[in-house]
Amino acid sequence: MASNGARPAVGFWRETAQLVGAVGRAMAITLRNLFRRPVTVRYPDVQRPYPDRFRGILALVYEKETGEEACIGCRLCEYICPPQVIKVEMLKSEKRNYAKTFTLELYSCEFCELCVQVCPTDAIIMLKSFDLATADRRDLLLDKDRLHALGRQFEPSWATGTRLRDMQAPPKPAKAEARGEVKEPAE
Amino acid sequence: MPDTQIQQIVELGYGGNERLMMNMGPQHPSSHGVFRMILALEGETVVGVDAVIGYLHRCHEKLGETLTYVQYPSIASKTDYVAAMTSELAYVSAVERIAKIEVPRRAQYLRVIAAELQRIASHCLWLGTWCLDMGGALGGGATVFLYTIREREMVLDRLEELTGARLLYGFHQVGGTRYDIPAGWDAKVRETVGFIERRIDEYEAMLERNTFFVARTQGVGVISRELAQAVGVSGPLIRGSGVNYDVRRAEPYSSYADFDFVVPVETAGDCYARYRVRMVEFRQSIRIVRQALDGLPAGPISSRPGVKSVGQVRVPKGEGYARVEGARGEVGCYLVSDGGPKPYRMKWRGASFSNLAVLPHIVPGHKVADVVAIMGSVDPVFGEVDR
Amino acid sequence: MALPPVAWHALVAFVVLNAVVLLVTYVTLLERKFAARMQSRIGPYYVGRPHGWLQPIADALKLMIKEDIVPAAADRGVYNLAPVVFLVPCMLIFATIPFAPGLGVADLNIGVLFFLAVSSLEIVGLFMGGWGSNNKYALLSAMRAVNQIISYDLPFVFAALVPVLLAGSLQMSAIVDAQQGLAFVFYPVLGQLAFVAYLVATLAAENRVPFDILEAESELVAGFRVEYSGMKFALIQLGEYAHMLGTSFLGALLFLGGWLGPGPAWLGPFWFLGKALLIFLIVTWVRWSFVRIRVDQILAISWKLLLPATLVLLLATGLVVATRGAGGV
Repeated sequence: MASNGARPAVGFWRETAQLVGAVGRAMAITLRNLFRRPVTVRYPDVQRPYPDRFRGILALVYEKETGEEACIGCRLCEYICPPQVIKVEMLKSEKRNYAKTFTLELYSCEFCELCVQVCPTDAIIMLKSFDLATADRRDLLLDKDRLHALGRQFEPSWATGTRLRDMQAPPKPAKAEARGEVKEPAE
Repeated sequence: MPDTQIQQIVELGYGGNERLMMNMGPQHPSSHGVFRMILALEGETVVGVDAVIGYLHRCHEKLGETLTYVQYPSIASKTDYVAAMTSELAYVSAVERIAKIEVPRRAQYLRVIAAELQRIASHCLWLGTWCLDMGGALGGGATVFLYTIREREMVLDRLEELTGARLLYGFHQVGGTRYDIPAGWDAKVRETVGFIERRIDEYEAMLERNTFFVARTQGVGVISRELAQAVGVSGPLIRGSGVNYDVRRAEPYSSYADFDFVVPVETAGDCYARYRVRMVEFRQSIRIVRQALDGLPAGPISSRPGVKSVGQVRVPKGEGYARVEGARGEVGCYLVSDGGPKPYRMKWRGASFSNLAVLPHIVPGHKVADVVAIMGSVDPVFGEVDR
Repeated sequence: MALPPVAWHALVAFVVLNAVVLLVTYVTLLERKFAARMQSRIGPYYVGRPHGWLQPIADALKLMIKEDIVPAAADRGVYNLAPVVFLVPCMLIFATIPFAPGLGVADLNIGVLFFLAVSSLEIVGLFMGGWGSNNKYALLSAMRAVNQIISYDLPFVFAALVPVLLAGSLQMSAIVDAQQGLAFVFYPVLGQLAFVAYLVATLAAENRVPFDILEAESELVAGFRVEYSGMKFALIQLGEYAHMLGTSFLGALLFLGGWLGPGPAWLGPFWFLGKALLIFLIVTWVRWSFVRIRVDQILAISWKLLLPATLVLLLATGLVVATRGAGGV
């Protein structure tokens, strides 16, 4: 067989033997794979298990004790968002502040989790689902009600602001117990 | 294309005066991205090539000026989107160099694990797409592609368990890393790399002594040692041409000096040599991952507190350049800081950008079919080239 | 039957044509599922769960309703006629194949010659398609195709002639009858080598990997077919797979014994189909295992390796027949 001259010339029979060997080896491997189980996950008939830290759709949550909205409208998430998809208006009140409007443009979101990281009250989280395909882009402009509804609809991911910040700079033991936080054991 | 000029035409003395100008790309199944090559063909032989880039320019360097040191690592992955961790590492290393920030040992080891896992994933994709280009999307190439993608999926699943995402990891952060490893990840990673190690044997059996593969790659696209050093290629291209240069050895960063691994060097300089270099790198990366997991020290994963606000990281005035050994070569990030929360100027040294410069020297004289083999062995990623 | 012979033959031809079209359509599904399993995935699944039985029908419907885009500067007559010129020889070869003793459109006494001659006419349609598209990729592919298919038709013919010599007749049913009681592929050395040469030449004449340089999706993006869409593309696909199946049938007939097999006589066509599909699957298996080689390497294999080898094989067969007496093994 013609080559570009960089290969050493071997005899005809040797080369034929090499060719037959190579053909046999390659075909044996494809034959072996014929009998292996396919790795396809038959989505959507079968759901793929999401890892704990999966960064899916964003949502707003309520506080566990009081049932009130957790968001205090501090706008830290708005400032840190790289593509600037979050827009918040604060509503001042006597005891605490709220978010008057909270819009998140999911179609431009990078899912980088920085907003989750900075939230001081763990109000914005990410969910273990990405299943939000629509035919209309306006459905992806999430307003506050939609974000709260999503928070109830899907399972939340492990990451909240407090947990992420604790992971990076573990708080002193006294503080952790006072907060009652249970940290995920790192290895 | 009446107004394009080919810079350099190699006269082959073909005698025929039928010169065909053919466009390969930017929409082409094997241009590895959006890349346009204007080929001058005489029959089946390429006599001149003009490379046109810039189709994927997304103003990363300007983005670097408008985003702070806290925000940018999340999207640094978009430059080399196949080996995403290395771009982030280059950026944060540059920041840490200017600000003289210490990175704790545990974070350094975690960075090494992430970088080497990413190198394995990147080489899986390289092998798959190269065989796909050479073997046809409906042929043996697709078979190898699907096998390697199957393995790449496993590595990406591990990285997904670590960070939550498959591309825009945001794993690196100034001062350390952002995530620590979850429970059970250690065992899963060991299982994954063990599995991949066995599968590499299968790929080698399918390709190594396969006469068809060898006939396509040996003697094709030879980069001589002088040419490699003159043009400034890096990574597997320069190691395939006989120069023993690896940034991990030349300028160890992130505690690479603690690990014991072999840097493969081949002298032939053709596509087959570069293939051998990358296959050895596969196994060496697995070795490094195992060593890093064995010796993972306890401790904090960041020397700075967790990110609480967007302008948290202030870097004093100065400039710095950090380079890492990416899967494609030397990836460098040059930062000029003026004391604020955002860089004054950021410049990426993309490995693929310099690697592509070698094309007009090595492609002329080969057949059209060799062009795809050469492109695959150069392995460009256009996020790095065009930024 | 009380029908005049012309009407009888027309009826049989109609049935055979439809059967071939249906078979070709479902053979694509077989190839896709087989290839998928070799690649650790499942092939067509959604259309007609769980095995994608309706996928070929869906593909055919899709191609029929697709827009027919004709390039503005294409050579209209040549461009429009090319799929037809490509398809007709590929369908015509099925006319000479007998599926069982007496069951065939026309069991010519020069059957094998007719098959080989007509099947190489597809190259005309191929070149017309490449030329008429007014596309440099298509032109490059058409030029490569002319090179390759013409080079490989010679070893193809010589390899197919070995069983013809051994049986002493060009008539297909006579060749199968001569294999009664034994299978030619187990004929010492000559039959096996001829079978291997036939398979390699089939791969090349069908533009299958590792010899598919003319379509080379990663370089030429579908080669001469690149400008065709809709029903014309469907005709070209049909022609390609029909040719592939036709040469598989011929191989089963010449080398593997056609309709001979244990069991009652009505089982014959099913044995024949099974053997043809076996050859098809072997070709598919090879296709999905290798990278392709360059066009100059392909031509070198043909002219420097395969052609001398098949010539020597033919000479040896001739010697064997002469020393043994013609007309039987």
